[in-house]
Amino acid sequence: MTTMTPPVRKFALTAHVTSSVGWLGAVAAFLALAVAGLTSQDPQVVRAAYLAMELTAWFVIVPLSLASLVTGLVQSLGTTWGLFRHYWVLIKLVMTILATLALLVHMRPISYMALVAATTTIARADHRGVRVQLVATAGAALLVLLVATTLGVFKPRGITPYGRRKQNDQRTSP
Amino acid sequence: MADSPPDPDSNGDTGAGSGSGPTNGTPRWVYAFGIIALVLALLFAALHLTGHGLGGHTP
Repeated sequence: MTTMTPPVRKFALTAHVTSSVGWLGAVAAFLALAVAGLTSQDPQVVRAAYLAMELTAWFVIVPLSLASLVTGLVQSLGTTWGLFRHYWVLIKLVMTILATLALLVHMRPISYMALVAATTTIARADHRGVRVQLVATAGAALLVLLVATTLGVFKPRGITPYGRRKQNDQRTSP
Repeated sequence: MADSPPDPDSNGDTGAGSGSGPTNGTPRWVYAFGIIALVLALLFAALHLTGHGLGGHTP
């Protein structure tokens, strides 16, 4: 694939960093809401937390996760980094895909808790399993995104067997 | 966040971090990363299969 020109590459990088770091920040806010929903004594706070979590998830986290994935693909394929040549790029890609899929799977309990919060008053012991699950998955997602960000910043060395073959092909071709 | 391509004529950033193992073959950090990921995946699967997960999904 042809590489991008420097201005286009910078634009694509800006889009990727913005969406990726935005995703991380939105998940941190989501985690704070999930903890408030689980631990608060105030029914109004609990209700507000689950309603806000659904809005945040659908209108901020899901779009940012998809944007991060797409812009990451563009960044990799549009530069000489490639998608499968460096271990850090490959691992980051797999982590982003898994995190996006896990997010989409967990949209159901998020919407469920928002529906419950909108229609009833949630007591402390109600739906405890789902509420704990939302805290745990948000915490896990935050950890995954922190690791992915660290990989993107440090870019630890390591070329895959595919990357080595490509390098050798480039050296031998005229 | 692939901010610069690893070719030598880009801006000097080869994209290679320091102290991360040999350049030939799979670096140690990849093995460590893989082992940690495998342990976490097995733990997650075990918790779900034994019913000691995080409360399950929606009723």
